[in-house]
Amino acid sequence: MLSVRETVKRFIESEGHKVDATPIDPDTGSSELLFRTRGQVFSVTTNEGDERTLSISTAYEIPEWAREPDQNAEALERARKDHPTVTFTLAHDGSLFVATLDQEAESTQELMHAFWILVSRLRDAGTQAVEDIVDRTESKAAAEKFINSFMMGDGQ
Amino acid sequence: MSDPLRAIELALRDEGLFFTRDDDDDARRIAFKSEGDRYFVVSYRDDPSFIMIGSGWALPPRVDPAQAIDVANALNVRKKFVKTALWQEESDVLFTVELCVNSASEVRPHFGRLLNVLRDSATEFFDLLRPGEI
Repeated sequence: MLSVRETVKRFIESEGHKVDATPIDPDTGSSELLFRTRGQVFSVTTNEGDERTLSISTAYEIPEWAREPDQNAEALERARKDHPTVTFTLAHDGSLFVATLDQEAESTQELMHAFWILVSRLRDAGTQAVEDIVDRTESKAAAEKFINSFMMGDGQ
Repeated sequence: MSDPLRAIELALRDEGLFFTRDDDDDARRIAFKSEGDRYFVVSYRDDPSFIMIGSGWALPPRVDPAQAIDVANALNVRKKFVKTALWQEESDVLFTVELCVNSASEVRPHFGRLLNVLRDSATEFFDLLRPGEI
């Protein structure tokens, strides 16, 4: 019988994508599978002790000019409220965040059946978070520019 | 003459996708899948500056061909790059990006975008086919 890791790996490969599989912890049987789609790398974590759950993660780099950890944490909290099945975690000193979707089903086959829907849901959540971070920062920058300009004009 | 689809192969490697080649006397072809959906790339030997990237889908049963043509027309007006057409006695729909290039290497940096627009066109086509949504 195939391991959970091998089942998931073969499924993603059968859908057209190259997969790098790495054992994370031989004692617990957890593994990480990496693949790319639409230019983004996704990580799938499987566990041999629990074939009914898997975790899908992807990382988004935050533009340098938008790295404001407190405000970005608030943006990720807003994204989490809109996408309650997705967890957002700031990492690497606020230079990126990781979006993770944990899914449970009756079987590995059921998870595979919904796999691209889950990837799409995770991608939508991550994209919304990025847009919130960037849009808010741009709005703030524009507001500051306006205020500075106004204040300069006011003082002349 | 060098292989005009070599740069497409490199673009597919960039995207982390498997592919197969199927060349004959008339054309060079690449077939690949992305997220489980099938796509192809064709370069004709007598017209090597022409490249076509596409995907074909079966129309769902009981779809009104006239409605499907209306949806295809709507997409052709609105979507960049993609031509949507009913094919083979209106039982299939074909989405293609047709390009004229000096070298397929010109396509490589834009391949992900072209794949996305093909994917989005198919999604929109089938969404719009739902009754009352044109």
